[in-house]
Amino acid sequence: MAVGAGVDPRAWLAVDETAGAFLSRSLSTRPPIILPPPLHRAPLRPGNVVEIAGPSNSGKSHLLLMAAAQCILPKEWEGIYFGGLGKAVMYLDLDCRFDVLRLAQILRNRIAEGCSSACPRNGEPGKDSSTDKFHCSFESTLFSDCMQRFLYVRCYSSPEFIAALKSVQSQLRSEVLGAGIYFLMIDSIGAFYWIDRDSQPVRENKGKSLQSITETVVQEIHKVLQLQPALVLVTKSPIYGEGTTAANDFNRVSSKYMLEDSTVLRYSRQEEQRNLSCRDYMPSIWQSFVTHRIKLQVEEAELSSVQENDVLSTHTSEWVQPSLKTKEKFCIRDEVHWLLNQMRRRIIRHKAAEAPKCQISFVGVLALCADPRPQCIRSPDGSQYG
Amino acid sequence: MMKDQCGRFWNGMDLLKDVTENKHFLPTGLEGIDTLLGGGLRQGQVTEITGPSSSGKTQVCLHSASYVAARHMGAVMYLDTSNSFSPSRIANITDELPISLVQEPRHVRLKRAMSSIICESVFDIFALFEVLHRLELSLLNDKVNNVGSKVCLLIIDSISSLLAPIIGGKYLQGRSMMISMAMILKKLADEHNLSVLVTNHMVSAGNGALKPALGESWKAVPHVRLVIFRDHGSNICTATVLKHTLMASGRPMKFVVPS
Repeated sequence: MAVGAGVDPRAWLAVDETAGAFLSRSLSTRPPIILPPPLHRAPLRPGNVVEIAGPSNSGKSHLLLMAAAQCILPKEWEGIYFGGLGKAVMYLDLDCRFDVLRLAQILRNRIAEGCSSACPRNGEPGKDSSTDKFHCSFESTLFSDCMQRFLYVRCYSSPEFIAALKSVQSQLRSEVLGAGIYFLMIDSIGAFYWIDRDSQPVRENKGKSLQSITETVVQEIHKVLQLQPALVLVTKSPIYGEGTTAANDFNRVSSKYMLEDSTVLRYSRQEEQRNLSCRDYMPSIWQSFVTHRIKLQVEEAELSSVQENDVLSTHTSEWVQPSLKTKEKFCIRDEVHWLLNQMRRRIIRHKAAEAPKCQISFVGVLALCADPRPQCIRSPDGSQYG
Repeated sequence: MMKDQCGRFWNGMDLLKDVTENKHFLPTGLEGIDTLLGGGLRQGQVTEITGPSSSGKTQVCLHSASYVAARHMGAVMYLDTSNSFSPSRIANITDELPISLVQEPRHVRLKRAMSSIICESVFDIFALFEVLHRLELSLLNDKVNNVGSKVCLLIIDSISSLLAPIIGGKYLQGRSMMISMAMILKKLADEHNLSVLVTNHMVSAGNGALKPALGESWKAVPHVRLVIFRDHGSNICTATVLKHTLMASGRPMKFVVPS
């Protein structure tokens, strides 16, 4: 920027805006987002990239779906408060394991909870059939309205993934998407890791194609975020290497420490070994792109041929970046569609029965909070399973 | 909202519509397993059954094949890696099924069921790639020509005997081939409304316990994973859900494999 002779150098020192103005502008265009637990501990805003890492079956996709339900629900609908964000979600499915019925379950339960807390019903349903019908049609209109805000793309390879990101950009530019994307979700960023890593036949270039693909992916996501600031939620499964690798963030020293499977560790019960073997396999350009990290773990009981009862697995979450140094336990509810009264009765019954077993270390009590009810594990209806 | 480039954009209601119209549950004929799966093997999903040797995995595969074939649901493609496919067993199972609504003599039903099951032997991963490629081409052709009796169930018994040799050790391309195979199966399942059933064996996990083979990278592949154990010398097997897209895992269920 060339300074002409006549320009007042003091103009450079002039104030653009005060810190207060900056803060208020920033808070209004990128307001803080409250997500369902356990993602609620760290403050998140559009533009952040959150990486949810954890072994298989630890609940990563479940967290994504809970956050998606939170986003597509409106804040208020015909007088009933739901506490959602009312914006669109773009879900890029690389694992190709998304189940729309699960999202429908979660959404219907949230709608039912919102309706029941707004107008608590006394007595048995079915007494007043006209209000029931009204409620059903109301709920189904709301449900379809919300589902229209959920956008989904399936990718079977890395080039398809990059093409999908590019089409998201072109759709944002041409403003086809009405509500504007607020959450961008990528299920399993490491899904094509092995394919990309081994796609180069020449040995010296091993890892180069993975690098270039990851660079392109990061660039395309940057472009999407520039067009429309959104919160990026990414899940990542760990990869247990075979000991030879060219990715520059693998520690050469521990690469000799070969562990085939995390289940071997489970039986030897050593935390440090587990941490060591979960090396980050994504190239450093991805690691520096990520702004927040949360790590999930699950303790599953042993598989044995003699099992009488349902086995409860405990899920824990730990925020690694920003490092909060606390582990929280959370439960994944087995959502079954029941009548509202029955649902409430069972929650109360199971709360009493399971209070000593379930250690719930956080309880959202504010009505304004995203998910007001503490989540309990519910075993299914006993009669069905004999 | 549709896009013509690779990757079509769906919205939530489109997905629901597709699932309810096209992706049905194919019952296996074994009550316990069907209850555990929520109805049966779902089209569009990859279901894995794992268990120690002679725990009943092949029996489950044979049962599903005969049930689907006998009930006119569509053709079944059975890929056999260890010569465990037994036509006489299929005949036994079909004969023991309850009489259907359509009155037809048993031998007619048996003949029709047998002709809907296509069995091929594959002994290595490359043969499997080729068979799946041919299957995809024939399904695309069928889509265009609208030929009846499309393949609706694909059974690979057992996929772990093809994949396990290439994963461990010095063969560097092993895992990428496994993941490519997984992607092909999922694409076939989703685009052509197939239900894919694969079996896996178990390996030792230390301390005398067992775990499913094929390691961590495979865990992310199937939609539903079941593990079955057979009690010593009896017909009763116990199945447990390891992973399911719709319900929490850990629920056991007993079922009987008729001999």
